[in-house]
Amino acid sequence: MFVYFSQLMNRPVMDKNSEWTGEIYDIVVKPTEVYPQSSSLIIRKGFPNRKYAVIDWPSIAQVNNKEVVLNIEKAKIVFQEKHDNKEELTLRRDILDQQVVDIYNHKVIRVNDIHLLCVDHSLMIAHVDISTRGLIRRLGLEKLVDFIIGVVNKNARYLKKEHLISWKFIQPLSINPVSMTIKVEASQKQLSSIPAADLGEIFLDLNIKDQLALFKSLDLATKARIFINIDFKTQKKIIGELESKDIAEILNNIPSDEATDFLEKLPKEKVDHFLGLIEGKYSKKLSQLLGYANDSAGGLMTTEYIAFTKDTAVEAALKQIRERAFKVEPAQFVYIIDEEHHLIGSTNFRRLILAEPLEPIQKAAFPKTYFVHLDSSVKEVAYLMEKYKYYAIPVVDEQNVFQGIITVDDILSQVISIAWRRLKRIKIQPKQ
Amino acid sequence: MKKRVGNFWTRMLIFLSVMGPGIITANVDNDAGGITTYSVAGAHFGYSLIWSFIPIIVALVIIQEMCSRMAVVTGKGLADLIREEFGVRVTFYAMIGLVLSNMFNTISEFAGVAASAELFGISKYILVPLCAFFVWWLIVKGTYKSVEKVFLVACLFYLSYILSGFLSKPDWKEVVGSSVKPTFQFNKAYLFMLMGVIGTTIAPWMQFYQQASVVEKGVKLKNYKYCRWDVIIGSFVVNIVAIFIVVVCANTLFTHGIRIESAKDAALALKPLAGKYCFYLFAFGLLNASVFSACILPLSTAYSVCEGMGWEVGVNRHFREAPHFYILYTAIIIIGAAIILLPGVKLIPIMLISQATNGILLPFVLIFMLLLVNNKRLMGEYTNSKLYNILAIFVIIGMVGLSTALFFTGFVR
Repeated sequence: MFVYFSQLMNRPVMDKNSEWTGEIYDIVVKPTEVYPQSSSLIIRKGFPNRKYAVIDWPSIAQVNNKEVVLNIEKAKIVFQEKHDNKEELTLRRDILDQQVVDIYNHKVIRVNDIHLLCVDHSLMIAHVDISTRGLIRRLGLEKLVDFIIGVVNKNARYLKKEHLISWKFIQPLSINPVSMTIKVEASQKQLSSIPAADLGEIFLDLNIKDQLALFKSLDLATKARIFINIDFKTQKKIIGELESKDIAEILNNIPSDEATDFLEKLPKEKVDHFLGLIEGKYSKKLSQLLGYANDSAGGLMTTEYIAFTKDTAVEAALKQIRERAFKVEPAQFVYIIDEEHHLIGSTNFRRLILAEPLEPIQKAAFPKTYFVHLDSSVKEVAYLMEKYKYYAIPVVDEQNVFQGIITVDDILSQVISIAWRRLKRIKIQPKQ
Repeated sequence: MKKRVGNFWTRMLIFLSVMGPGIITANVDNDAGGITTYSVAGAHFGYSLIWSFIPIIVALVIIQEMCSRMAVVTGKGLADLIREEFGVRVTFYAMIGLVLSNMFNTISEFAGVAASAELFGISKYILVPLCAFFVWWLIVKGTYKSVEKVFLVACLFYLSYILSGFLSKPDWKEVVGSSVKPTFQFNKAYLFMLMGVIGTTIAPWMQFYQQASVVEKGVKLKNYKYCRWDVIIGSFVVNIVAIFIVVVCANTLFTHGIRIESAKDAALALKPLAGKYCFYLFAFGLLNASVFSACILPLSTAYSVCEGMGWEVGVNRHFREAPHFYILYTAIIIIGAAIILLPGVKLIPIMLISQATNGILLPFVLIFMLLLVNNKRLMGEYTNSKLYNILAIFVIIGMVGLSTALFFTGFVR
């Protein structure tokens, strides 16, 4: 049997001897399972001096259409002035009327009602209702509105369509005031299945408190993905609230071009402070990258690339690629260098897979590899990449030492912003 | 020494970045209706009502500061908080009240546009639709930042009243004297006027608008003190402008014993007494105030309703993404402008209904606010102090009493 929480609220609660004990106020659930199960019932009585009592679920004999029946006596129930244990997850306080993330539609929504499944007199959250009909049910006008619409049009979409979203796609945002993290662990919810750009957008719809709480309860990979997909203002706000250790972790785990994008907008003393937090070698690399003009090849490149010395066997190279963990999905190019890190050539995954496993990697290389210099302009880079159909182009210094790569998405965003400035009147319509 | 100067400038910079919501909200309070009330007050009672602006400033600061504080601490709008803490039923009826009250307020703003059209000798059938379109276009095509800049410029135009005040060459000693020394006349007309002047000060939309726009600004908790200055400065500026309106009318119309019914009458009567520049400044001020308020009222309504009902909020979204927002916003503007253009429409009943809906909604909104701002779970250590609560309750009782009284006096008259 399914029941809406709004229909349960304020229903009478009877004790063992069918004596009126109170009315349903709230339900505490255990957020440990995919579909959280009710663990205790909060009932209330009296007006205006309200009193509350918490009843554990085993003391409940029956939940039926009219009332809740207990298997204990009224006299045994202790009523108190207050009822809230702030760390628990409860339906009325933490879910109903609150904002939640709809993971399926990638949106932040407000819960109008909660759809509960009643099995063997215990309740489970099955869906949340976000429809207008849910709103009207809460106002106590469902029957009236249903009737009016039914008279006008018996097959109205309003009456047929249920706008329920399965609980497994819902990430509640209520915050545990003690640990300041989200009450329902984010890892259980498939936040990580959302494309990074959408995730960033969802994030921007939240207020700063929710943003922080949600951010803190994410795993490092998702944190990094969100961080590179939000605007600078929000990045700054979040960093401002984090501990040094967490800041270092994030900066260590985002691609170097994203890190420099963020750092170069900060005042110098802040940059020095953050660089000090990061591990030595990487911090040196970042500060070098920060030295390049941000519209030059050096300022655009990332130092996340795959490179092998020219004598590496194809088989060994493939093995290393399989085993290495990448901060982001790398472009499918593999670079070939000599012992002094000079760029010799490049190849791609397809060529590597087709090559003889025992031959040196050099044999699988493209006949020629084009590159740009650290001080090449955005235009030059874009021109070469378009001309040779590269997804990524290598960057070298004056001595031909391999420095990094520029991927097509970074150059595209530069080119788009240049075009944007020129053609301000062009309005890009979002996809529909 | 040098360091202190540097500190001053950084503080100034932070203030400028935080400034806006409080000043804008307070200024919109001097809308077409407000200007009418102040003109009539000045024309009929001279300087004798000026003292009432000091308690008004205090009340305004106390109420609006709570909104700013809630916005900064919780990061949520007032409609959001009411929905989350008091449930959907209460929110729904509060929103119906807000829509009605703001709808009628918008109508009276367009009445102000129509009145200034007549003052400038332009047909109201041209100026009203033009302004309605401008208002609609500004929000639909603008971003929060650009819109706020336009609003701050509009605030600057209120200076026209201060200029016209100087042009009327008042006796400053007397003005200052009567603003600090309360005088009281025990007759019906005086008391009604007093109620009108104070009762129009705090309207329900102001709390919703201010809280939403502070949230939109994303002010950090550590910069909250600058937000408070924003509120205080706004409240002072708006009342200084109001005082100047009273002064202009008192100094010219009152001394010549001219009776007026509206801001339009006041402007017309000023022409022969204070010269045509004073007249133009006064009329321009009325137009600016009306258009400015006509921008904010529909925006604030649509924003709060969508927030409370959980619909997508627009400004930076497309029509398809936030249909409720755009429909509501557009409907209020169109209805507001259209009703004023209907031939033979009477303004007095509209004003009465708008006062009535304000009066009914205000106690609820203020009580909700007081409960929310004292909720430890939401506000943590930023709840009201005891003294602040006593002051706030005092102001709320006063405001609720006055706006109810105002509603009934409308019928007595």
